[in-house]
Amino acid sequence: MSGRVEIRNLSKVFARPGSDETLQALDNISLDIRPGEFVALLGASGCGKSTLLRIIAGLEVPTTGEALFNGDRICGPSPKRGLVFQEHSLFAWLTVRQNIEFALKTSRQYHDKKCEIDKWLELAGLTEFAGNYPHQLSGGMRQRAALVRALAVSPDVLLLDEPLGALDSFTRMNLQDELVRLWQERGNTMIMVTHDIDEAIYLSQRIVIMSPRPGRVSRIIEVPRSYPRNRASGDFTVLRNEILKLMDFAQEQQYDYVI
Amino acid sequence: MKLTAWELHRLESSPKSNLRRAFDRVLTFLPLLLAVAHIAEYKLMPNFPKYAANKIAYPVSDTYTVFLGILAFALLVYLVWSFFSEKIYEKLVHSAPLYCVITIILTLYDIATLKTGTLQLPYFPWADRILLAIIEDRRMLLDCIRNSLVLLFTGYLSGVAAGLFCGVGAGWSKKIRYWIMPLLKLLGPIPSTTWISIILVVASSLFAGSVFMIALGVWYPVTMAALNGVANVNRSNFEVARTFGANRFELVFKVAIPAAMPSIFNGLTQGMGIACTALMVAEMLGVESGLGWYINWQRGWAEFAKMYAAVIIICLTFTAVNLVLTLIKKRALRWKEEYV
Repeated sequence: MSGRVEIRNLSKVFARPGSDETLQALDNISLDIRPGEFVALLGASGCGKSTLLRIIAGLEVPTTGEALFNGDRICGPSPKRGLVFQEHSLFAWLTVRQNIEFALKTSRQYHDKKCEIDKWLELAGLTEFAGNYPHQLSGGMRQRAALVRALAVSPDVLLLDEPLGALDSFTRMNLQDELVRLWQERGNTMIMVTHDIDEAIYLSQRIVIMSPRPGRVSRIIEVPRSYPRNRASGDFTVLRNEILKLMDFAQEQQYDYVI
Repeated sequence: MKLTAWELHRLESSPKSNLRRAFDRVLTFLPLLLAVAHIAEYKLMPNFPKYAANKIAYPVSDTYTVFLGILAFALLVYLVWSFFSEKIYEKLVHSAPLYCVITIILTLYDIATLKTGTLQLPYFPWADRILLAIIEDRRMLLDCIRNSLVLLFTGYLSGVAAGLFCGVGAGWSKKIRYWIMPLLKLLGPIPSTTWISIILVVASSLFAGSVFMIALGVWYPVTMAALNGVANVNRSNFEVARTFGANRFELVFKVAIPAAMPSIFNGLTQGMGIACTALMVAEMLGVESGLGWYINWQRGWAEFAKMYAAVIIICLTFTAVNLVLTLIKKRALRWKEEYV
């Protein structure tokens, strides 16, 4: 099984638009992601988690250090590393089916996999909506479509940049279950950027907690629980509190007594 | 509950009072009544004495009666239909006031020209004369329409092609933009009709010169629209396409251009307006065919009825051209919310 991602002493500096100053987004990140693993990159905004994901996708070039994919240096995007954004993932001018066809055609897999399109549509529960344009779908349907489109080209790694961030909490929980199902079925590596602690605990095997300005890996937490997980279980809450404490959000509770 | 959209609309719209209902019903009869009244007025009211005295110099035919008869018949069909279909009825109620006003204007114009001579010949021919002029000169007018359309579309399509090429190129690549931008800044503010005098002198053929002038006028808005459209495509579209392995050709033709289509169509519409203006200028000043030329030529003969006829034909032609463009736009942009 391929899908190994290695990050070695990676730093990323951005030029600030309109000035001579620069901004360090990532500082000396090292990370090993095993094939088939589900990893969450968790952190407040500005911690460079999306930048790290974009470097793995091949959309940004690291300033120093390197990112390896299956042992080779990443030097550009590839269908082996699929990407799903929070919004604007689907092409608005194509129907759901055409979106999947686009992915297969541009990755030169159309002839081998065009018969799988119906299967993907069914998997996403979008068979009825295959001929609809994205604006005619709900937010959840759009993200499901973007997910199966990314999976249709059989990537080794699926990179998820807050894919459920714009959805309401019920749709979100549904899609989280579906993500787990898809991942277990296909066994590819999943790297998900999120700022939702519950989502990270519910989905991932390892949580990489990042601290902001400049982005560093502050802690890596293993979540050795089997799937499907229980959102209401006790150790879920324990883990949650632990992460909150690590991220400096857990204050001692103070009570104001008014008698 | 299984409802059609129409039944839903009926259920949810507020109920109308009986008075309002009666008023609406009366309203649907009004256009037909007014049209019939206009026919009666045209046939029965005595003509202005000067016109009535000399029927050879001022012939009044029944062409306009037939024309009005057809209009009245169409209104009658509409009215009868409205008794059987509620949808048609609502449409008729909606458009009846407009039809009434149009009929009234036609009646007033007829009274002012033919009946009382308030507006006199030769500058104000009555409707019958204009209709006769169209019928009499139909061969020539058809020829003119064809020539105008050929010139219009040759110029328009060359301008669009050049505009798309420059605009998409400049929106996509900084290097192309470096060379296109000065050209745009220099030529953009000059109305393309400015070139007519130079073209009249320099161009080897007036047709080619006019094509160039129209194309130049169309080129600018289309280039700007395509440039802005492509430059403002959401970056994530390109990024997603690249993760699927899209090459540069696919990024331009399958992502940038389709995504920029709404903006491009704005440029195409704007360009059509400019093309129509440039066409008229070219035909009035140089090209010896087409509707613009026809108007000018008839002015030379003081044939005012034919000039009015040409104005009406020009109006109809350009309306048709723009209608076609709008239909294409609706079809091409059906993926946009506002065009569904």
